[in-house]
Amino acid sequence: MTRDEFERNRRRFGDTVEAWPAPFRQQALAFMAGGAGPEDDPDAALDRLVLEATLIEGDDQALARKVLARIDSGSTRSSLLPRFLLAPAGLAACAAAILVAVTLAGYQAARLQDDLQDSELLALASGARLSGNGGADIAADPAEEDSL
Amino acid sequence: MSHEGSRGDDDLLARIAAGSQGALSELIARHGNGLRVFAARYLGNAGDAEDVVQEVFVTVWKQAARFDPARARASTWLYRITANRCIDQRRRRALRSFIGLDDIRDEVASPEADAEATTAARQELAIVRDGLSRLPERQRMAVLLRAVGDLDIAAIAEVMGGSVGSAEQLLVRGRRALRDHLAMAAAGRERKSS
Repeated sequence: MTRDEFERNRRRFGDTVEAWPAPFRQQALAFMAGGAGPEDDPDAALDRLVLEATLIEGDDQALARKVLARIDSGSTRSSLLPRFLLAPAGLAACAAAILVAVTLAGYQAARLQDDLQDSELLALASGARLSGNGGADIAADPAEEDSL
Repeated sequence: MSHEGSRGDDDLLARIAAGSQGALSELIARHGNGLRVFAARYLGNAGDAEDVVQEVFVTVWKQAARFDPARARASTWLYRITANRCIDQRRRRALRSFIGLDDIRDEVASPEADAEATTAARQELAIVRDGLSRLPERQRMAVLLRAVGDLDIAAIAEVMGGSVGSAEQLLVRGRRALRDHLAMAAAGRERKSS
């Protein structure tokens, strides 16, 4: 932190450095201590090094404008789903999921039809009279069932 | 954080709960930078971090009335929301990466990258950033909450949703790994120079 930055932040946040928000507070305290803190605390020294290494430039006013615009438009994205679905990749993933679901449903329906044909064949083999709904008569007639 | 600063944040949140957009802008001016740095270094992507921080302040706008100053400091509450959003963002990216849709690379632009290699101090900062990016996620989060957010162990535990003991362990291990990384880099430099 330079002298100019320190003074600028003092105008923003007041004279009491301890009341400044992080990470300005740690930077200011290090600046006031002449660029270094107590040498007997290696953890604090490492924290200062990490802070110095991680700092990035950012425009807080632009951030505030974007946040207020999102609030005003009411287009906040509260969950993953709507945002994901709006993207082309999300649409493709949904289409794939629907295709898989339809395929599975098709197999399931076909399997049920196979069961029906099996019942009809069993009825024919046992000489039972076929009704409109396939093999329902077989189970309904215990005498014919015994003849099997 | 001092009680004076915390009270200032509490007042701002009370005004936000009452519908003051000016108070929200003031809160962003106070904490936007810290939250952005935390999110960017945790996620490893400045674009994702910007998006996360916007979501955080939109959440603050909606949920400010639910903040209870008797239960936690405002800064702890803000970092907790940010940490949760960051975890969501990581899961989102992991899902997109799993299904082969993620084309976003991990990167955060560092200032004066060209000049970075010119001095030993800047090299050291680059090594710290590299070491930080290699830490396990929870260790990285603990280290960043301490160094960037200036949170104490109890607040870190609250943000991360664990016990004080586990937060302390994460911080100790993270710092140790960073020191080892720095020591290895220094040894490598010495070998090269000799």
